[in-house]
Amino acid sequence: MQLLSEILLCPVGALVLVLLIPARAVQAIRWVCALSALVAGVLSVQLWRTYDAGAGGFQFVEIIPWVEEVGISYHLAVDGFSTILVMLTSIVFFTGVLTMWDLEIRVKEFFAFMLLLVTGVYGVFLSQDLFFFFLFYEVAVVPMYPLILIWGSGNREYAAMKLVLFLLAGSALLFPALLAIYHASGLGTFNMILLAQKAFDPDFQIFVYPFVFFGFGVLAGLFPFHGWSPTGHVAAPSAVSMLHAGVLMKLGAYGILAVGIRLLPVGAVYWAPTFATLAAIGVVYGAFVAIRQTDFKFVIGFSSVSHMGIVVLGLNLAVLGKAGQDALNGAVFQMFAHGIMTALFFSTVGFIYDRAHSKTIADFGGLGSQMPRAVSVFIVAGLCGAGVPGLASFWAELLVFLAALKTYPALGVVIIVGLVLTAIYVIRVFSQAFFGPVNDKWDDLRGLDLKGWQILPRAILVAVLVYFGFFPSALLDVIDGTTSTVLTSFR
Amino acid sequence: MSDIALFLPETVCLLGALVLFCAQVFGARYGVVWGLALLSGVAAVVASVWTWPLAGEPFFPGVYRVDFFSQFVKAIMAAGFLFIAAISGRPQTVRSDAWAEMPMFLLLATTGMMMLTSAMELVTLYISMELAAYPIYIAVALHRSRSIGGESSTKYMLQGMVASAITLYGLSFLFGLSGSTYLGTISSQLGTLATQPLFWLVVLFVLAGFLFKLAAFPFHFWAPDTYQTAPHEVVTFVATASKVAAIAVLCRVVALVAPAGVDAAMASRVLMWMSVAAMTLGNLAALRQGDLKRLLGYSAVAHAGYVLIGIQTMTGAGLTAALFYALGYAAMSALCFLVVVEIGRDEDLVSIESLAGLHQRAPLLAATLLIGLFGLIGLPPTVGFIGKWFLFSAAIEQGQFVFVLVAAINSAVALYYYLLVIRQAYFAEETSDEPIHTGVVTLAVAGGTTGFVIAMGVVPGWFWARSVEAVAALMG
Repeated sequence: MQLLSEILLCPVGALVLVLLIPARAVQAIRWVCALSALVAGVLSVQLWRTYDAGAGGFQFVEIIPWVEEVGISYHLAVDGFSTILVMLTSIVFFTGVLTMWDLEIRVKEFFAFMLLLVTGVYGVFLSQDLFFFFLFYEVAVVPMYPLILIWGSGNREYAAMKLVLFLLAGSALLFPALLAIYHASGLGTFNMILLAQKAFDPDFQIFVYPFVFFGFGVLAGLFPFHGWSPTGHVAAPSAVSMLHAGVLMKLGAYGILAVGIRLLPVGAVYWAPTFATLAAIGVVYGAFVAIRQTDFKFVIGFSSVSHMGIVVLGLNLAVLGKAGQDALNGAVFQMFAHGIMTALFFSTVGFIYDRAHSKTIADFGGLGSQMPRAVSVFIVAGLCGAGVPGLASFWAELLVFLAALKTYPALGVVIIVGLVLTAIYVIRVFSQAFFGPVNDKWDDLRGLDLKGWQILPRAILVAVLVYFGFFPSALLDVIDGTTSTVLTSFR
Repeated sequence: MSDIALFLPETVCLLGALVLFCAQVFGARYGVVWGLALLSGVAAVVASVWTWPLAGEPFFPGVYRVDFFSQFVKAIMAAGFLFIAAISGRPQTVRSDAWAEMPMFLLLATTGMMMLTSAMELVTLYISMELAAYPIYIAVALHRSRSIGGESSTKYMLQGMVASAITLYGLSFLFGLSGSTYLGTISSQLGTLATQPLFWLVVLFVLAGFLFKLAAFPFHFWAPDTYQTAPHEVVTFVATASKVAAIAVLCRVVALVAPAGVDAAMASRVLMWMSVAAMTLGNLAALRQGDLKRLLGYSAVAHAGYVLIGIQTMTGAGLTAALFYALGYAAMSALCFLVVVEIGRDEDLVSIESLAGLHQRAPLLAATLLIGLFGLIGLPPTVGFIGKWFLFSAAIEQGQFVFVLVAAINSAVALYYYLLVIRQAYFAEETSDEPIHTGVVTLAVAGGTTGFVIAMGVVPGWFWARSVEAVAALMG
């Protein structure tokens, strides 16, 4: 079996094992998940190290015909983008399992659904067959419903239903669009690499592209279809928020890139100014709304809307030509950086919530002296969100910012406004909850700070943010070659 | 001899029904009758599959056609009957003195449905249709509560008869236009017939009876009531095997009147609007239901709309997709009804609320329901996903982008009510923690059908190839 199938097999195999293990054997279930995540992580790092960035293009290709009559095949391959996104998934998967180690309620079902979700995510990043791409996309979305409904908190029934309805409404736009691409190509295949070489009729592209863009855009938290995202984040348990904001939303952006921009370049260019504006509104809107939130998780939820806006903005700037390379590099880098950053946010907020049973910012005060380690971790994530140099997001936001200045200076200003607003809401949380007068109510949290192995998942995430903050080229080198290939159709 | 071989599946079903009749006349215990019903089901499946390689026109040439399409569909129907026989070990919603009659009536209806898929002559077609209908009218009335059974049966029968009268009216016109009752002769005159608008109106009349069985708009009014109030086992038959028969005969008629080169735009357009109306109406009405069977009834209306997507394309790809979906749909709704039968043993009506805590009372049944509903929603890895993919693909091929968009949005709307059922089974506080005991046979059937629904979704290649082969036999 080849590397990509091995990566995909990790969650699938673990899922089968978990289903076979009796529900009482909680410890065994946790270990199966952790080990499968670890193996997937090692394989992903191996993929990252062995992917030949100089050669670019699709590598590690595996094709097995599946329904030959209609041209569906099990077809895996990675380019530079999916290589780093697979690595992102593995990191969030592993740290997510560790974050949920203490879960006691219906453990078997929780990890089964989580593994199903992760299977879907890997599948989307690895598939180069349009049918399987969409199939895995649906597999990734649906487990969110039970995960939020059963293990969530607060207004979970509302949040779970809203999330699934929004996302499947997005799929409803994709269904006819993807099939239209298949039939319009006349190739009789769902092979995305072959479809990308086909020059579709410009009118067709202009007609279909919005369906693809909005269909995937819903999952990317695109303004004005982001409503599901903050409520979903807030209600979901920690690891689910981590996967959801860290990885799932990236599926949306990746879908726009892999299907929209790759297959329908003319449509992408035609709509780019409009959609870039929408994304820019999302950047500022998300940040503004985050400032007024009283709940930790809502702040992070809206910050995700804002940060994913930067990704989508980068994707749209990329096709406009003037600074495409920077814009696309920045967008993909931001997918990675934002994924790690939000995973860190939710991992830590979830930790504090589990102990304090509150996530209202105003409830706290001087928490920094009560839970110094958890608060430090949160501060790292916050600084990363604000785009502080030395952390991974800095490079991503810088690249998109530069591209925006070159393409539409007004949009560059918008990004700066967004970053300033981000700094405001981050600092507001810091000052109200972590510093200032100590609230005695939480003195009994002193003994409950991160300790022992609980530090591990957070330490991994912090290390990744810092590493790529100092060595951005380790990612950029892998991304850059693929960016050039993708952008050849726009020059 | 060869004629008998060609007629074997029908013969087996008829003999089975006769044996069941004798068994009840001689007052056999229900256990014996049940065993005989199971045996007949197995024999019918084996006989149907055995005739797959055969083709020909037994007894009267031009009247009755046996080809891979008809035999493939017969095997599905026989399997459907076997499924229902297997879960009817204790049909408590049926009047206790009529337990033994129920399998007999269903087997007779199966015989009629089998003949329906092979009929190539108008009178045979009509007689088969009535043979398939009457036993079900009676079976629906066998409910243990006379008032409930009477109501649903009367509604079902009256509407069924109106639909079948429309069909008969259409058939008489068809004879008048073409001067023949042989479908083969009629289709050879298509060149002149197809240019007359009256012909297409007549075709739609003829389809009425089958659209009724399919519960497609505007012949769907019986579905929610009958689903809600008929005995659980009988509804299962109406929702599975009977649907397959309707889809098969729709495919047969469409393939005959609209081969390549004939302009069938008018009929196609009408079917398209029926499809839009059925899925929209079914899904919207289902949103507000509190009764599980009634909800499934409206969901059946919506699914009739989805199947019509394939049929209205009037292309080989569309009919293949419809047939493939019919097979998958029968299996996934069978899963849902299996759970209805098990939890509704002591209830005349099965409310969604009564599912509360199912995942603790009966984890396997809850999982069965989950897979069945995932299929109906159209989620991977079940056949529902790829089935819809094929249906939508056939319509997109005809350039019907907006139509498919409407259908896809409909599926998203439908998600809401299916999820509410899943939520109740997996999340709601249980009202009773008494475990539900399920027989070994039922569990085996549940496992097998669940496996089938997933297998068709994960390795659809074989099933798709068979559907292609069947439709090729149909069009050829």
